Amino acid sequence: MNRSSKSGQYGIFFAFALICLVLALSTPKFFTISNLLIIGNQVSINALLAFGVTFVIITGGIDLSLGSMVAVTGVAAATFAHPDTYPLVVPLLVGLGAGSAMGAFNGLVITKSKVPPFIVTLGTMTIGRGLALILSKGRPVSNLSDSFNFIGGGNIAGIPFPIIILFVAFAVCSILLNKTILGRYMYAVGGNEPAARASGIRVSRVKMWVYTICGLLSALGGILLTSRITTGQPNAGAGFELDAIAAAIIGGTSTSGGTGTMTGTLIGALLIGVISNSLDLLNVTSYYQQVVMGVIIIGAVVLDGVGKKD
Amino acid sequence: MKRNAIFSAFIAMAFFTGCNQSSNKESGSDAGDKLVIGATMLSMQNEFIVNVSDAMEAKAKDMGVELITVDAERSALKQVEQVESFIGQGVDAIIMNPCEVEASSPAIKLAMDAKIPIINVNSETSAKPTAFVGSDDTESARIAMKYIAEKLGGKGNVLMMHGFMGQAAQIRRDNGAKEILKANPGLKLLAEQTGEWDRAKGMSLTENWIQSYGDKINAIFAQNDEMGMGAVKALEAAGLKGKVLVVSVDAIPDALQAVKKGTLDATVFQNAKEQGGKAIETAVKAAKKEAFEKEVLIPFQLVDKGNVEKFLK
Amino acid sequence: MSDYILRVKEISKSFSGVKALDNIHFDLKKGEVHALMGENGAGKSTFMKILIGLVTPDAGEVLLEGENLIGSNVNETLKKGISMIHQEILIIPELTVAQNIFLGREREVSGKSGILSGWLNDSEINQRAAALLDRMGVNIAPKAKMRSLSVAQMQMVEIAKAVSNNAKVIIMDEPTSAISDKEVGTLFQIIRDLKAQGVGIIYISHKMDEIFRISDTITVLRDGKYIGTKSAVELDQNALIAMMVGREIGQMFPAATQPVGEEVISVQNLGKAGKFSNISFNVRSGEILGLAGLMGAGRTEIARAIFGLDQWDEGEVTIKQSPLRARTPREAINRGIGYVSEDRKGLGFIPRMSVKDNITLSSMNNHRKGGFIDAHSEESVTKKMIADLKIKTAGTGQHVTYLSGGNQQKVVIGKVLLASPEIIILDEPTRGVDVGAKFEIYKLIRSLADRGMAIIMISSELPEILGLSDRILVLSKGKQTALLSKEEATQELIMRYAVA
Repeated sequence: MNRSSKSGQYGIFFAFALICLVLALSTPKFFTISNLLIIGNQVSINALLAFGVTFVIITGGIDLSLGSMVAVTGVAAATFAHPDTYPLVVPLLVGLGAGSAMGAFNGLVITKSKVPPFIVTLGTMTIGRGLALILSKGRPVSNLSDSFNFIGGGNIAGIPFPIIILFVAFAVCSILLNKTILGRYMYAVGGNEPAARASGIRVSRVKMWVYTICGLLSALGGILLTSRITTGQPNAGAGFELDAIAAAIIGGTSTSGGTGTMTGTLIGALLIGVISNSLDLLNVTSYYQQVVMGVIIIGAVVLDGVGKKD
Repeated sequence: MKRNAIFSAFIAMAFFTGCNQSSNKESGSDAGDKLVIGATMLSMQNEFIVNVSDAMEAKAKDMGVELITVDAERSALKQVEQVESFIGQGVDAIIMNPCEVEASSPAIKLAMDAKIPIINVNSETSAKPTAFVGSDDTESARIAMKYIAEKLGGKGNVLMMHGFMGQAAQIRRDNGAKEILKANPGLKLLAEQTGEWDRAKGMSLTENWIQSYGDKINAIFAQNDEMGMGAVKALEAAGLKGKVLVVSVDAIPDALQAVKKGTLDATVFQNAKEQGGKAIETAVKAAKKEAFEKEVLIPFQLVDKGNVEKFLK
Repeated sequence: MSDYILRVKEISKSFSGVKALDNIHFDLKKGEVHALMGENGAGKSTFMKILIGLVTPDAGEVLLEGENLIGSNVNETLKKGISMIHQEILIIPELTVAQNIFLGREREVSGKSGILSGWLNDSEINQRAAALLDRMGVNIAPKAKMRSLSVAQMQMVEIAKAVSNNAKVIIMDEPTSAISDKEVGTLFQIIRDLKAQGVGIIYISHKMDEIFRISDTITVLRDGKYIGTKSAVELDQNALIAMMVGREIGQMFPAATQPVGEEVISVQNLGKAGKFSNISFNVRSGEILGLAGLMGAGRTEIARAIFGLDQWDEGEVTIKQSPLRARTPREAINRGIGYVSEDRKGLGFIPRMSVKDNITLSSMNNHRKGGFIDAHSEESVTKKMIADLKIKTAGTGQHVTYLSGGNQQKVVIGKVLLASPEIIILDEPTRGVDVGAKFEIYKLIRSLADRGMAIIMISSELPEILGLSDRILVLSKGKQTALLSKEEATQELIMRYAVA
């Protein structure tokens, strides 16, 4: 449906395939089922956040509070997830509710105050971090129930549960973006906000939805992280927003709004995950890892840009 | 316009609440003749530091001194400013939990010039303070690595997970570990990589190592418990826990639980309570111009299944 | 022979097998204004790009004073004396006028050599710019920041830049698209001065009256082919249009076929501080009300207020006897109002969305199936609208940004129509639209009225207002000065009320 972003997607797909090929040739351990499952597992949290921020970026906004929302929702969920206290749905609802509420708060301030999203979410980033520390009194919340820990650590028929969550979320987000009126309106708002308004679209409502969805997905990421490391960490998720935004942008979402796809974002997230996984496999020292990661990110986007030209 | 002004005030608040002071002033008490101690802590987001801070507060209450604690949020600049404001307030002594070896040093000089005793707790600065209370990080890694050497009988493949590269604790723990590795030529360092003190990162790193080295891994040394816990999770998931020794440092409650369960083989206990308590004691002595020790070193203790009960509250 | 500065011979160019230009000739004399005419897609822009060295032709020659320019790049053609004033003005707003004029040539102006040639010499630049602007008779301070200038002034600076480059040929692409009538006068005076200095000018514009006012010679292209070159005095508007579209246009403005019906919208004493006051009119079903006036007379502001984009301060609007006060465009749309903005790029369409997505944007609720979009009904409605409005597009999935101005406008009109309006406000509906498409849009507007819609049409083109409106409301400085019937209205009368 969206020509330019589709061709962008092909570019990034090509870049991704190329990098995978190089890695498969350089280490035999890369292309094994178990390693691929590990990558999927490691990528899942960043991908969830990246899906959320993709919606936001498509409408021409940005959300820097993702990482803080991961911490708040993780701590909030963990607080209700001790063994033999509440049934599993309680921590899940608490976490998802907290994330949606924080996202809705972002949306409300952005639409009512007209302050740029960058500033608003910079503010809520700090507020969120503070809330996480207040909720947890600065200490990790541990001793969580087995059922809660299954979310991030369990597997069904050999497939890690986070990967299942990842693909369900991917399907839901893709459908939301491509098959619903709300999704269509997101592209319209990001593509030309005044024209969208003049076409009768309630721009504020679309933005409210988008930030709320982003909060919800961050909460899902927060719950997954908490369950994976079996503790609610108040300082978890710091810097996650940058990885998520990077995944979206590598995947062809334009920061000026109006374009982007979930498939692109998924590939972007996988690309980042594959690179860090394989640099560990190849035992590249951490100083070089950062350099290599940066070079590959820029390279992928350049390659993508080349593919985009008519 | 007005809206914007209100909003920016709101944002500003959000930013500055970070440096709000939390004091344990007891209302109605005559604070006038009480000793006042100012404390600036590396980061109140770090569990160990929070524990030290709690111990300081408890001790201060016991001794009847007023303690003002502020959070430097890992910023040395902020820390120096906080010490300046302590000096301005005329506190009787200052306790500093330094953010950085070099960058926090100016604070020492400021306090010395103002003739206010300043005590470093937990980690060091290049400038010499009135007194130092803490433990030697190098020693903690030596203890951990010695344990590994012992358990493996001096032979085997070891992986090391670093903290944030370049931080004082990472460098010391690295030095300590490498010392022991050198002394045991049968131990081979298979790979080393940073997990940035983070549990999720430690877990991912271990997963990737398992892919690379699989059965060859005999032991993992993680420079803190968070990463060690991550390693344990990854090994458990791969069904390798029984075969790989995991040792880390700090003895946080989670790690103690894991030692008790037998999933983490050992951790090294750094005594937050002692550090905090001794810091207050030394500060009070220095403020009252009584005799005090210039260097109070709190020893580390190895915690394994045999003695873990002692450390669990 | 030697009075030709530019001779273009047998130029051909194909893009991926499609002939964009086929054997084009073009001669420009010293001191001549030579208009290049043609509908969008006729090949004008490819031709321009070849002249300035952006595109290399497959065959043919471009001779500037006998020297073949084929193979020269943009910088080289510029140095040799061909400058282009672009439709979208290319300036750096934070630099001064003088800095913009000499941008990229600081080294040659600095008058220093070696290491020092990298040193800026702003005083020299300012002096030269002042002399230049003075010679052109333009009152612009060289030290003024570019962003403080009006669009017309920026254009003068662009021309000054071309002159300072010792341009022998200046290409002007739609230079009057964004400037007022008075400023057009200044521009034309400068063009005449340039002529007197022997500069040749290639002038591109859609505005017929301008072409006849300023040009000496007219060359017409159509579908990439050379149609002919005539002296301007030999041609009149209809003959020129016939050359451009390849057929005679006897009747540009179709007449009404249905009688006017009941009153649909009534506006009483509408006012907004500083914009307009005391505006009263009504429009009946099947009627086209023209809103005439100069730029800034308040026409667009009235339209925006009715449509809920802005709020009015006093007065009232009723639709079929019930009051309307739209706080958002959505409310106006729900009450049956459609608005086709003059600002097509800003308010009309979403450039990176497809024809289908744009056209259904205001009526998505008609394509709701459960919580999802009914892609099938969307597609069929879009196809029908493309056929009805004769939108030229590669398909429903084509991005609107790749369509021509006229087809973009049709997409916007299609979007408005799909929301089933009873009242349509068209603001400059044919701005930036080429002649052939204009005619189609006129037919469309009339047919909408014949289907019973009430139409308010704002236009600055008097022939359009006179040809299409049933009644004409004239505004001047925010006040209404006349309400004329079709019969009594003439260009002179409208202009007299418009400046009252």
